[in-house]
Amino acid sequence: MPFFRYKRNLYPLIAIASALLIMVFGLVMARTVVCSYFLLGAFVWVILFGCYKQALKALPLFIVFGGAFALIAFFSSEKNFDGALAMANRFGAVFLAIIPSTSIQAVAMTRNLSQLHTPRGITLGMLITMSFIPVLKAEIKRVREAMRTRGAGSILNPKIFYRAFLIPLVTRLVDISDTLALSIETRGFTLGKSKYTVYKKEAVNYMDVVYIFGLVAGIVLCVVL
Amino acid sequence: MNEEKEKEQAAAIAELIANSNESGQKTDEKLETAKDTKGIFQKYKIKDIVFLAIITCCTLVTGAIMPLLVNVPLFGIIQLGLGLQFSLFPVIGMMKVKKPFALLLQSMFISVFLVFMFPPMVLLIACALVAELLTLLIFRGYRSDWACVFAGTLYLPLTLPLLYMYYNVFYTVSGEEKAAVSMFIGGGNTGLIVGISFAVLAVCFIGSVIGMVIARELKKAGKLK
Repeated sequence: MPFFRYKRNLYPLIAIASALLIMVFGLVMARTVVCSYFLLGAFVWVILFGCYKQALKALPLFIVFGGAFALIAFFSSEKNFDGALAMANRFGAVFLAIIPSTSIQAVAMTRNLSQLHTPRGITLGMLITMSFIPVLKAEIKRVREAMRTRGAGSILNPKIFYRAFLIPLVTRLVDISDTLALSIETRGFTLGKSKYTVYKKEAVNYMDVVYIFGLVAGIVLCVVL
Repeated sequence: MNEEKEKEQAAAIAELIANSNESGQKTDEKLETAKDTKGIFQKYKIKDIVFLAIITCCTLVTGAIMPLLVNVPLFGIIQLGLGLQFSLFPVIGMMKVKKPFALLLQSMFISVFLVFMFPPMVLLIACALVAELLTLLIFRGYRSDWACVFAGTLYLPLTLPLLYMYYNVFYTVSGEEKAAVSMFIGGGNTGLIVGISFAVLAVCFIGSVIGMVIARELKKAGKLK
């Protein structure tokens, strides 16, 4: 049965719900020590459910930025530890919420939304927005390389930034969007009410249920204790 | 007999001609109404959605500093930090796709990601809707470039009252931390709040104008059709 089969990725909507849960609870309870324990537990929990790569990426960011802002809060509140803890917890909640959300694959999210009959225009737009980031990075790199090759000067100069970076980048993006739109139309995508099939359906699994119940149980424990 | 047949044929022919004229009139009427609706409300094509998604991706990537800004409890810091990006790119999008609700679509595409960075920013959808409705009321569509600038300028500053409420909920703390936090927020300092609101509006206006200038330049080059 697919419900009891092991899977590595979380159900997209459950991942989003868990991210919201962590963030809202973390921000509301930021001033308590219990919140720190909850965030630690939730960190281990998301690692157990296959988000270890994203967790390892988020951890150094949290240490650097969370630590810096906690120090600022500590000294600005006349060396009050509670202020620093609250700030660290807020950063912890934000970075922890990012972990399950970054584990969602763009295609899985689109499939999930299509199954729920979300308008085609919106699912298509979200899919492109999610999956375009690497392409955009590559394009930015190319434009920067072109600037260096031409000896255009520093990107920090507003005139050079506008003329040699921004204009070529937007021009390139327009070209890419035209080609992409043509290729999407060629593959039979339409925005009308025509029927379509979702070949690989996303389904809720026992792991998703255990994951979300674990988080809710953690929150209830923190509130009760 | 022949006369009767001829009469029947003539009647049938007359009916056919009358029907064709009637249907012709109907199609003319339909065409006219279609032209009328083309004035303000137009159907979206795949290429519109693709371009809006790509330009939203640019907004998202350049707005990735949001998780850091959300934890600095200064009124309007998010809008000040993101104002330029969140006006420049949406205006380019609206200048290419000159159709109502282009801004709303962009905000829908980006909200899925903003929810992980800072849940209250999902209210950008409501802000986009308000900005679009105001633009449609004042400019009657997006034919004028200044309509795009107007919508782009209003888009992010509309989140200011919502985020003010957020800060008041999450940062109304008691004890020693309060001093530090009120120092950050500006407490009940009306001058500071008004000043930052005007600064945000100015930043968004500058971003929108830059977006318009870029789009006009691309139009001149024949890139934005």
